[in-house]
Amino acid sequence: MIKPWRRRHRDLELDEELAGHMRMAIEERVARGERREDAERAARREFGNVGVVKEVTREMWGGGWFERLLQDVRYGARTLRRSPGFTIVALSTLALGIGATTAMFTVVHAVLLRPLSYPRSDRLVRIAYDYPKSPFITEGGISDRQWVDARSRYRMFTRVAAFTPGLVTLTNAGDPVRLQEASVAAGLFETLGIMPALGRTFGRDDELVGGEPVVILGDALWRERFGADSNVVGRPITLDGVRHTVLGVMPQGFAYPLDARLWRPLRLQLAPNRFQILSVIGRLRDGATRAQALAELDALAAADRARDSMVARVTPLKDTVVGDVTRSLLVFAGAVGLVLLIACTNVANLLLMRATTRRREMAVRAALGAGRRRLVRQLVTESALLWVGAGVAGAGIAVAGVRALLALAPAGRIPRHGEIGVDAVALAFALVVSLGTGLIFGLIPALRATGSSVRDALAASARTMTGRDGRLRGALVMAEIAFALVLLTGAALMMESFIRLRRVELGFRPEGLASLTVDLPDATYQSAPAMQAAHEAVLDRLEKIRGVTSAAAVNFIPLGGPMIRGDIKVDGRTLPPSYLVAKPSVSPGYFRTMGIRLRLGREFTAQDAASSPHVVIVSESVARQIWPDLSPIGQRISNKDVPGPGDWLTVVGVVDDVGQTSIDVHREPAIYQPIQQLTQTFFLGHMSFIVRAVGDPALLLPMMRRALRDVDPNQPIGSIGTVESAISATVAEPLFQARLIGAFSIVALVLAAIGIYGVVAYSVAERTREIGIRVALGAGRGDVVGMVLRRLLVLLVPGVALGVAGALATTRVLSSLLFEIRPDDPATFISVAVLLAAVAIVAGMMPARRASRVDPLVALKEA
Amino acid sequence: MAKQGLSRIELLQGTLDLIVLQTLRWGPRHGYGIAQMIRASSRDVLHVDTGSLYPALHRLEKSGAIAAEWETSENRQRVRVYRLTAAGRKQLDAERSRWEQLSQAMAGIFTPPAPEPET
Repeated sequence: MIKPWRRRHRDLELDEELAGHMRMAIEERVARGERREDAERAARREFGNVGVVKEVTREMWGGGWFERLLQDVRYGARTLRRSPGFTIVALSTLALGIGATTAMFTVVHAVLLRPLSYPRSDRLVRIAYDYPKSPFITEGGISDRQWVDARSRYRMFTRVAAFTPGLVTLTNAGDPVRLQEASVAAGLFETLGIMPALGRTFGRDDELVGGEPVVILGDALWRERFGADSNVVGRPITLDGVRHTVLGVMPQGFAYPLDARLWRPLRLQLAPNRFQILSVIGRLRDGATRAQALAELDALAAADRARDSMVARVTPLKDTVVGDVTRSLLVFAGAVGLVLLIACTNVANLLLMRATTRRREMAVRAALGAGRRRLVRQLVTESALLWVGAGVAGAGIAVAGVRALLALAPAGRIPRHGEIGVDAVALAFALVVSLGTGLIFGLIPALRATGSSVRDALAASARTMTGRDGRLRGALVMAEIAFALVLLTGAALMMESFIRLRRVELGFRPEGLASLTVDLPDATYQSAPAMQAAHEAVLDRLEKIRGVTSAAAVNFIPLGGPMIRGDIKVDGRTLPPSYLVAKPSVSPGYFRTMGIRLRLGREFTAQDAASSPHVVIVSESVARQIWPDLSPIGQRISNKDVPGPGDWLTVVGVVDDVGQTSIDVHREPAIYQPIQQLTQTFFLGHMSFIVRAVGDPALLLPMMRRALRDVDPNQPIGSIGTVESAISATVAEPLFQARLIGAFSIVALVLAAIGIYGVVAYSVAERTREIGIRVALGAGRGDVVGMVLRRLLVLLVPGVALGVAGALATTRVLSSLLFEIRPDDPATFISVAVLLAAVAIVAGMMPARRASRVDPLVALKEA
Repeated sequence: MAKQGLSRIELLQGTLDLIVLQTLRWGPRHGYGIAQMIRASSRDVLHVDTGSLYPALHRLEKSGAIAAEWETSENRQRVRVYRLTAAGRKQLDAERSRWEQLSQAMAGIFTPPAPEPET
């Protein structure tokens, strides 16, 4: 072949060769005695059109695939430009499909496929222990003592490190702010293989209780709060009211675990009955497998006789980082893939119709000597051009789509979100998808268009050609209907699930409530009475706000995040060991403020003070479980495993159950203690203040902020807002999922409707003459509409059947995302099928009605 | 696209190749020379037009049957001169024997054979 850059040279040579030919012809004529002008004119006439000669000669070198490709591309572009309507519809349909697919691929790739951005991250694992006999969920953590005992015994790991995430308040560096932090064992950064950009990491000495408080800053925090000062190392900063010395700054992008903004050394809690729950990660030794590591952990547990109670787990670190978002991402990817398939099917159908009308063109070109391969290549190039054009537009859509997706997704729910962006891999994916689908979906119509013999094509006029093409188009539409039905069913299930989720009875009245949550640092407040005094002061100020009917405090607000659960002892009864109850502590007036119904006895009052007899209020299901036979009022329970005489709490009231941790767990058993009677700061630091407003609670938020600032100007607000919006936030993820799938399915429905409309309209156009004859023979409008609709039903019924079967097979993957609805819920299936059939019939009705108005005279004359 | 040129090539294809190869058998020649020689040796019957000749030359060059070189003529003009290659010689022999078969067959067709006796 001739390389493109050599071509220009060959062109010049050809010019010279032909000019030489002309010159010689002229000279010979002159030599024979002709006048020069006559000779030139005659030679030129004899030579013919120089441009044509050059072009046909050049064709002889153009054997290179590249040349032919360029030629096909140029021809294809011209053909597409000539039918702008078709091109725009096809391009935008495909761009939408490819764009959405690429956007979803970008997210899936960044979150699920790409390795973590640590050196040799495939060697990193999470070491976890489950305690199958314990009623508590520890999420695989181990205690400080277990960590200290085990850390030097792992042989299959080059390094192991423990950490525990937390929250800390930074003051004296701009506004007080609550930050995600992690307490980490020496060696965590080394295990991950990431070293600080400035300063040093923690050593074992830093773990000793009583050592100098030190901290390592994250890059973002260092930039936001410390002006990216390169001399920050060695400077003091204030965390929870305590001076810490900055040891180092981590490089940009490092935020393990859980978007940590800063890191402090793990302070081991080795006193009896004092421990933290530590997560452990490790780097596998070269050559060691996860199975070997697991065997080692099991052997260690067996040596400690802990094997029965502890079950080790070794999980790739990436899985723990990515977590439970995997399933919903894969569901989205599947949904978007269906949209792409429908879009491609639609365009293939358009191409097929076009191919039918172009069959004569193809036949003529074949008669002029173009081989079938050449024609197919030409048509496939044309559709590939369409697909690649759509791919380019799709890449643009993907960039916007990824941005929209990240903006609309519930905050903090997409792990590794900082790494998500349309990159070279995503663009390559878009290209491969567009070329691949273009070739596949372009090839079928191309083969069809060129398949029939020249004679057939020329003999038959385009309008009477149905048969094979009609069947293929029908099959494509049928597939489209089925795909759309699968998607719609999934979306309907998610929607219905969300609606049921929002209908759950909460057990309290969230409307009119606003809450403000704080974390009072132990370091500043030191003692329980100090914290209780602060609570009182804040409540006093809140109650005085105009528009507040009542105010109360609770340490763990329902549906507000963390919750304390535990077991209880009952005076005179034994409970099953796995019986756990939520244990929030509340101020007097809490139940009235929240709108939780008091069933028996009384609420807490100011008289339930620290020095008064200790009291408790139980929720309705606790009362029913423990004392089904007698009144709970006056009964005694305790939080202690072995209660002493002063450890008993007397039941003074029974209230309704409420949903404590999340809406979908329904209402949970709970016991409430008055916060005035608590003595541990641990249960008092984290506190939510609630007000019930006469009007819109959102209007009270500034006054609530001021109330807190009046009491402690250095205290940052953990969160503030109306309780209704906080509840909405807890269902933000299912809502987002339902909306996203819903959006995809609406696109699918519209595309399917367009496809159905197109096919029916085309078949009506093909049969205009036939319809004209029928009308001329006395067929009524109804007959014609019925005839067209019957053809539609032939596609619709099997399409719907296929779609239902497909949905039955695939909606099972949704079951973990669904709330109180089975993935094969018959009502949903039926209503979706009916909806789709209705849309299909409406789409088919338009051309059918047009057909019924066919004027037989015109139809027959045109034919 | 030059439909005119194309259709003529198709008409003459094969035959024209044979004629060009046969012409170059007598030595290297430039395009104009080849055209003149075909004209002369066919006693002015065959006029090969440039729109057929040059595509044929370039096609044969690409297939390796002939090779081209630039030479400087007596009046110091560059001309592109074609010569037969070994492969071209072989192709010429093959095509000539095919042509001979064809022309014998054609002759047979145009000379009606003696009617076969009916049985």
